[in-house]
Amino acid sequence: MGYSFTLRTIYPYFGDLWQSALNTLLLSLLAIVLSIALGALVALMRRSALRPVRVLGAAYVEVMRNTPLLVILYLVYFAAPEAGLRLSSFMAALVGLTLNSAGYMAEILRAGLIAVPPGQFEAAQSQGMSGAQVLRHVVFPQVFRTIYAPLGNQVIAVILASSLATAVALDEVASWMQTVGSSSFRFFETFVVAAVVYLVLCQSVNIARILIGRKLFPQGRRA
Amino acid sequence: MTEILALDGLVKRFGSRTILDGISLNVSAGEIVCFVGPSGTGKSTLLRCINGLEDIQGGCISFEGQAVQGNPGAIRAVRKRIGMIFQHFNLYPHLTALQNVMLAPVVVHKEPRAEVEARARTLFDKVRLAHRINAYPSEMSGGEQQRVAIARALCTNPHLLMFDEPTSALDPETVGDVLTVMRDLALEGRTMLVVTHEIRFAADVGTRMVFMDQGRIVEQGDPRAMVAGAQTERARKFLGTIHG
Amino acid sequence: MIQYWPLMLKAAGTTLWLSWLAMLLGAFGGTALALLRQIKFAPLRWAVIGYMEFFRSIPILIVLFFVFYGVPLLLEVDISPFVAATLALALHASATMSEVVAAGIASVGRGQWEAAAAAGFSWPQTMRHIIAPQALRVILPPSVGVFITTLKESSLASIIGYIELTRTGLLVRDATGGGFVPLLALGAVYFVINYAISQVGAALERRLHVGRRSDLVGAMA
Repeated sequence: MGYSFTLRTIYPYFGDLWQSALNTLLLSLLAIVLSIALGALVALMRRSALRPVRVLGAAYVEVMRNTPLLVILYLVYFAAPEAGLRLSSFMAALVGLTLNSAGYMAEILRAGLIAVPPGQFEAAQSQGMSGAQVLRHVVFPQVFRTIYAPLGNQVIAVILASSLATAVALDEVASWMQTVGSSSFRFFETFVVAAVVYLVLCQSVNIARILIGRKLFPQGRRA
Repeated sequence: MTEILALDGLVKRFGSRTILDGISLNVSAGEIVCFVGPSGTGKSTLLRCINGLEDIQGGCISFEGQAVQGNPGAIRAVRKRIGMIFQHFNLYPHLTALQNVMLAPVVVHKEPRAEVEARARTLFDKVRLAHRINAYPSEMSGGEQQRVAIARALCTNPHLLMFDEPTSALDPETVGDVLTVMRDLALEGRTMLVVTHEIRFAADVGTRMVFMDQGRIVEQGDPRAMVAGAQTERARKFLGTIHG
Repeated sequence: MIQYWPLMLKAAGTTLWLSWLAMLLGAFGGTALALLRQIKFAPLRWAVIGYMEFFRSIPILIVLFFVFYGVPLLLEVDISPFVAATLALALHASATMSEVVAAGIASVGRGQWEAAAAAGFSWPQTMRHIIAPQALRVILPPSVGVFITTLKESSLASIIGYIELTRTGLLVRDATGGGFVPLLALGAVYFVINYAISQVGAALERRLHVGRRSDLVGAMA
């Protein structure tokens, strides 16, 4: 094996890495926030009293869970010009990632809502709370506890999925690995560096989730 | 005696099933009305119609002179003056006992926190749970949770208390604790509606017993008299089998 | 565009074959890892857990790049896109499967082990005759989910040039003037295949009477 692992050989490319990592981070953060909002909408749709609305919500989730993200990204990227929109790679990736993640967020939120016993709504309403007050003081805190861990996992999933933005020509960490690797032929080094970046991002989210969780939920496991 | 509650020809249907078939009832201040009867005859539903948790298909409900049926604004106003205690407690699991009791007065009635907290602590003394104010529902027994639920209902200074089978989900040993608290409340002169299977309690503490069967009031009157010898056959049979 | 349907169907078959192969390898690998975790040797267990955490914290795409571009440089061998894709997918699947299999084994109560030990079964015999059959009932439903995830991830093989369903869809798109209808058709094919498989999985879950809502639901790929 005539290959020696020398990190020094790719030092010159670390400047680009910084920019790429920022793109990954920005793309992921925006996609997470937007997909939570969209996912909440879909989750509420699935609880609607109107059957067509419920079916639409369920169909959205099924489409996003069964279609590869790559295909969705290509669709957004190539279909946008047809609809007259000029989307940058970042925007196309953001839209595709958001649409896909929203399907998963909807399921997480729906499970959280279902886990709140109907007696809670009744107790709160019987005390004269308005709909908004019921949601804010009684429903939301309980939903949040239930979805907290799955939400953390979904955040990590989005960070990892952002790597597919390579396919629509966005400069993020995965494309950095491919580009730099091709020019320097140092694929092992670039792989290790890229892996470390993702590892740090994902494990930071994990650790933050656990630490913040201890602060937010001091009572530990609920009965 | 001021009239607190007036029900006139109340009708409640679930689909094609009629649960309440023309209930008419007047309740005055200070009365302790105990609803008894076989399970599934609409007693709980009756309470839930009064505070709008269930809608009604016919008849009128009037609370302290205010018509309640169908009007969301009126229902909310009425709910602020009625305290409800549920069979399964329905305490808010993410809040401590103290926070549970304080939530509605602060959020719904917009009272200042300090005042509410002082009142809440007094109530905890009253239900003998001062040592548990910082416990979460999951850490408390059923009897403790129900007493917290009673404190929670009391903290909003309600004009009427409704108890929906308050002891049915409790271990026999803790039933007594809860009944004791309810007895104290009755002695204070509160107006209470109680759906219960505890006939002895109804006879001792109630000022009126209402026997319901199949969505109708079959008989009502003085609890002790009814237990000793009810007028109607059905009431006699029911009270005979339960009380023995 | 209709003329290209046979091509698309053939490509779907290629995708299914790739995913199936990767899944099999991943299942074997995952089982091996789960069994290794049973051994009471701490460093080994830490190694397996490290492997799992590693592969769950990095995107499969960079693994794919590494296997396809990097390994040939390292080992001075040629790797076809097919082999690279199969390996990368299998590595990823094995990380998830090791957790699924471990959960399946854990689901078999201690009493079973004790009864087998009392009757004189050796560890391999216990595994084979008593634990594995019971564990399998718990392992099968989530495995369907892992397969669907692997199938979606197989679309990434198009990036390194393997002619599977996605690449074929893109080629058809080029050949028909670059619209987005071929892409919709592409998505529809994936949807139909995966939805059908998930229905089979749901039926399997019902028949095995195991009502587990798997939160081991795979990546978003």
